[in-house]
Amino acid sequence: MRTSRLRTVIVYIGFALFLIWVLFPLYFTVLSSFMTPSEIGVKPFHWWPENPTLANYIAIFTGDSAPFSTGQDGGIVSSTDAVARLVPAIGRSLLVGVAVVASNLVIAGAAGYAFSRYEFRGSTVAYLLLLASRVVPAIAVVLPFFVAFRHLGLLNTSLALIISYNAFTLPLAIWLLKTYFDSVPRELEEAAKVDGASRLRCLLMIVTPIARPGLIAAGLLVFLEAWSEFFYSLVLTNGLTVPPVVAGLQNLQQFSWTTLAAATMFTVVPPVLIALAFQRYIVAGLAAGSVK
Amino acid sequence: MTSTAETTSRPATRRRSSVRAQADARFGLLLATPALILVLGLVAWPALRTAVYSLQRVTLAGEESWTGLDNFRALFTDERFIHSLTTTVLYSVGFLLVSTLLGLGFALLLNEKFHGQWLARSLLIVPWACPWVMVGMIWKWFVDGEVGALNAALYQFGLIDSYAAPLSDSTGALVVAVLAGAWRQASFTGLLILAGLQTIPKELPQAAMVDGANVWQRFRHLTLPWLRPVIVVVVIINTIFGFMQFDTIWALTQGGPGEATSVLSIYLYEQLFVYTNIGLGSATAVVLGGIALVLGFVFVKLLYRSNAITEGVE
Repeated sequence: MRTSRLRTVIVYIGFALFLIWVLFPLYFTVLSSFMTPSEIGVKPFHWWPENPTLANYIAIFTGDSAPFSTGQDGGIVSSTDAVARLVPAIGRSLLVGVAVVASNLVIAGAAGYAFSRYEFRGSTVAYLLLLASRVVPAIAVVLPFFVAFRHLGLLNTSLALIISYNAFTLPLAIWLLKTYFDSVPRELEEAAKVDGASRLRCLLMIVTPIARPGLIAAGLLVFLEAWSEFFYSLVLTNGLTVPPVVAGLQNLQQFSWTTLAAATMFTVVPPVLIALAFQRYIVAGLAAGSVK
Repeated sequence: MTSTAETTSRPATRRRSSVRAQADARFGLLLATPALILVLGLVAWPALRTAVYSLQRVTLAGEESWTGLDNFRALFTDERFIHSLTTTVLYSVGFLLVSTLLGLGFALLLNEKFHGQWLARSLLIVPWACPWVMVGMIWKWFVDGEVGALNAALYQFGLIDSYAAPLSDSTGALVVAVLAGAWRQASFTGLLILAGLQTIPKELPQAAMVDGANVWQRFRHLTLPWLRPVIVVVVIINTIFGFMQFDTIWALTQGGPGEATSVLSIYLYEQLFVYTNIGLGSATAVVLGGIALVLGFVFVKLLYRSNAITEGVE
């Protein structure tokens, strides 16, 4: 009885510490994004905004700094150039993410299925080399991409990002999908083949619908990776996608933290919502991708 | 955790006639070819090209000449590189320890039953979903000496006398960089270990309890051995992520103050894109890639050994 009460106390203290660890930095960011620059610097600290304002969000979207242009908050005036880049960057981030997911699901899906079902000469070696290529750090091989894209005139294009992101998402997606196809029973395919269906027809009409959870998990992980990617976008483009644009805002003196916080929210909220909504798929994918 | 499909498929494979087997193999090769070509072109080729660059001197005009190991000699006599290397080791050790221990703690906690468990389990995925570079940005302002809420909270609880600005201090900046990185990676670690914990059959801890094993004994002799394969994977992933970390540190300090947080990835970025020293930058890339390969190799080795051990026990 006494040990179980002790257990309860320890568990709830742990829970409280966990909540603080996860939520405190995030709460600070959300809070800041609804405050004026002068209020965030007040001592003692305001744990709730006195006059919650949407001006930070309006400022990063429209460049309209009117709420701050008078009085002591004048410092927030946003650079219209940076603002002009943020909104298209959101669209381009989505485009790059969707394109990378689509190419990954088709290419890695086909390869994963092949490695799961149709052995060919060298298939084991090829699969092991694919797995090994996951160890190559993206950061270490950026220069050949840079040189090649400069040569092809692709620097600062979405296509450069779509191509280079495939380098690091493909091996992961192939691994995830092969593992998933391995767990899909073959009886339906065998039966369809007896009925005269071709191999391709089996793959498209029978396997793909059954493998949907695996495809969703792989697609989500790949999308999150593409949305979050920073280094290649920084090096190969002049800030085409959201993360480098938002990170770049830090270098502009005229942006106060409250406006940066609003910009941060636009980068963080979409992947967080996706992760929460599809938690089960994502955790299954992470576990399969790392453990098996 | 082992796949059952592979074992059930073998009899079917044997029954196939050789003509059909050949057609099957052709179909498999056809399906896998696009992926193989892309990975060769997008991973193997750039890796090879980087290795070649590291043995060359490349001028701004694009002329290449072989210089043998000169770039590596220059690298290992460059004080900034040596400093970077030691900083990277320090950073990754801290990153590994904090993320792994916190992640293990979170997983053990969330495996217990309590009011709010569902909420905690949902929240566990949130830091993982935040892009690395945004984690750096959030923490930069969270610990800020003027507007940071961490200072405000510590001050109001009377734990500090005045606001501190850890990012302008070399040790402080490195500690914050470790904490910020671990904030995200502990979530990832927790998710994986929790998934591992949930595969422990319920009867095992109950049986151990009946046998009179206390909490520590159950953890030490039951939970930990069960988690061994997952923990091995997590430790290696966390080490590699620590060594390769760029985004978070870039957003936090850009390697500063001075060179205090200039890890290898930042040194590499500066050599390539600030000083455009292709040879030195590529040599750094080869060192970084070499470290990753060695760690990856150790990873596979340990994984096979730990599998053999657990299978031997069962």
